[in-house]
Amino acid sequence: MGQTIVYVAVSLVICIAYFTAVDHFLMDSQD
Amino acid sequence: MGLVAGKKLFSIMALCAMIGLLLLPIAVSLPSLAMGADAPDAVKKDGEAKVEKGRDVYYKTEGIVVGAPAPKTVDGPRDYPRYNFESRVLLWFANQQHLYYGSFVLAVPIFCMVIEFMGVVTKDKTMAKRYDQLAHDFIKISLTAYSLTAVLGGILIFTFLTLYPAFFGYLSSIFRPVMHVYALMFVAESGTLYIYYYGWDKMTEGFLKWIHLSMSVVLNVIGTLLMFLANSWIGFMMSPAGVDEQGRYLGNIWHVIHTALWNPLNVHRILGNMAFGGGVVAAYAAYKFLASKTDEDRAHYDWMGYIAMALGVAFLIPLPFAGYWLMREVYAYRQQMGITLMGGLLAWLFIIQATMIGILFLSTNYYLWQALGRMRGAEKYQRYIKYLVFVLCCGYLVFITPHTIVMSPAELKAMGGQQHPVLGNYGVMSAKNGGINVIITTTILSFVWYMRGNKVSTVSWSKFGNIFMGVFFGCAYFNIIGLAVLGYYIPANVRVGLSVPQVATTLSCLFFMFALNSFMMKGAKQMGAIEWGKISARSQYALIMLATAFTWMMGLMGYIRSSVRLFWHVNEIMRDNSPWAYTHTVGFAANMISFNVLFFWVSILFVFWLGSLGIKKAPVEAKEGVLGGTPQPAGGH
Repeated sequence: MGQTIVYVAVSLVICIAYFTAVDHFLMDSQD
Repeated sequence: MGLVAGKKLFSIMALCAMIGLLLLPIAVSLPSLAMGADAPDAVKKDGEAKVEKGRDVYYKTEGIVVGAPAPKTVDGPRDYPRYNFESRVLLWFANQQHLYYGSFVLAVPIFCMVIEFMGVVTKDKTMAKRYDQLAHDFIKISLTAYSLTAVLGGILIFTFLTLYPAFFGYLSSIFRPVMHVYALMFVAESGTLYIYYYGWDKMTEGFLKWIHLSMSVVLNVIGTLLMFLANSWIGFMMSPAGVDEQGRYLGNIWHVIHTALWNPLNVHRILGNMAFGGGVVAAYAAYKFLASKTDEDRAHYDWMGYIAMALGVAFLIPLPFAGYWLMREVYAYRQQMGITLMGGLLAWLFIIQATMIGILFLSTNYYLWQALGRMRGAEKYQRYIKYLVFVLCCGYLVFITPHTIVMSPAELKAMGGQQHPVLGNYGVMSAKNGGINVIITTTILSFVWYMRGNKVSTVSWSKFGNIFMGVFFGCAYFNIIGLAVLGYYIPANVRVGLSVPQVATTLSCLFFMFALNSFMMKGAKQMGAIEWGKISARSQYALIMLATAFTWMMGLMGYIRSSVRLFWHVNEIMRDNSPWAYTHTVGFAANMISFNVLFFWVSILFVFWLGSLGIKKAPVEAKEGVLGGTPQPAGGH
């Protein structure tokens, strides 16, 4: 259970960082 | 030994002959370009006449006037000779049939190239033979269709010459430097196709097989160039360039070809052709599956239908993005043209288009869910399918919601205005972008499930991989819907830019999750065989639905693209003064499109029947890919 929570948390951090970067970069290149 | 050397020599000579044919149009056109065949007499006879300059309507550059102005036509037998029938409808029919067959015979050789390549690189001899036989069967079908395409092209030219001589004369005068290049490309295409087909059994092993595969690349390069040239004509009619405001040619053929909409049309059409070709071949396989008497036949055609569907859908997924790019370029070129298409005269046709796109993706998902039934171990996904259906339906309903509806005053009053207080919010592009991206992302998820249907990952990090994949898809949905909601809070000219991160999100799911899945499934434990042929008949009807919907949509979008020119033959350059320079009703257009679809399918069934007379089939076992057995037949297996 603890391992699952860690995996979900790590996945969330990676995914949120990735999609934020994608949105920021692609909106910036075109606020 | 001598025989092999002789075969090698023959193969290399055949390949050189093809490359020679490919270069022939360029070689033929070089002397005329070098000698300045396009230079006006005014320049040749120095000082005898005044050089007149014109300004390019699109590129805004100055050029020496070379051609005559666009003819000002009048309604009469000189400019618009006619039978006792609407000329435009006759031309519509001839054009649409030629386009259907043209796109089919351009797509099938690309499939052949991919499938033959898969056969060459597959280590398993049995699978290699199956792939090779499948590619051979495909090209055999397209050979008959190729003849019919040429016949329909001839009918189209005669229709133009007979019914629209002034327009066709003007268009061919503008494209004069490349008209014969186009014709010679046909010579190259025909020659290459016949050498490719008849050389098949001569080049079956090793180096010779690679030479044969190279021929398919040459064949597809020629086919693609042919399509690009044909696209330049419709691009010129919609967004003319290389001429002045009177329609006089200014001597730069590249400007005439490379119009504002040429590249978006090229990309959109090549993807559309591939998806269409995949759909047609899948429907052919579905028909043969349903008519099969033996398990062996059912296994063969089930596999063939799956391969064709997978290839077609691979190109269907990026197709809406290419269409969106085309529409953005239309708006950038002429805002009024874009408004006519999506917010005015033709807007209801776009609602029909959205409905058809939704049907395509729903049919694809339905087929994939049914296909899970041929795998042991895929039962674990069955209980989640209802959630995917819900997500797909939500995306679909948002996607097809119209902006405004034609209503009586009483209905208008009852609803409280032109737009429904809740559903009206879904009638804008921001919501629709979210809807279609949700649909495509869900289709990608269905594909991922299918690819791992009968497998269990054995990599040490499989638990993290599964959780990461789930979180990635969840975040992708959140990002797509979040951007769609954000669109309501910002001005329209800014909102259009939000589509880019939405598309990037969907494509991230496609590329990253497919890659992650294939890493996770390396050396995976198989739960059981894929039992080809053990699939419901309903799945095959879904394939037929997919192909028919695509054919209908191609007809619809061709009509929309043509009718957006309204009363112009060439937009803002050459006016259409025929009695038929009006836009048909939606009902008439839909009936005409349906007639075209029906005619195409009846005629291509005849082509299939002809092609099946001589088809030989490689033996296929109904059970494939058992534990420790032969490799699986597609990327996903």
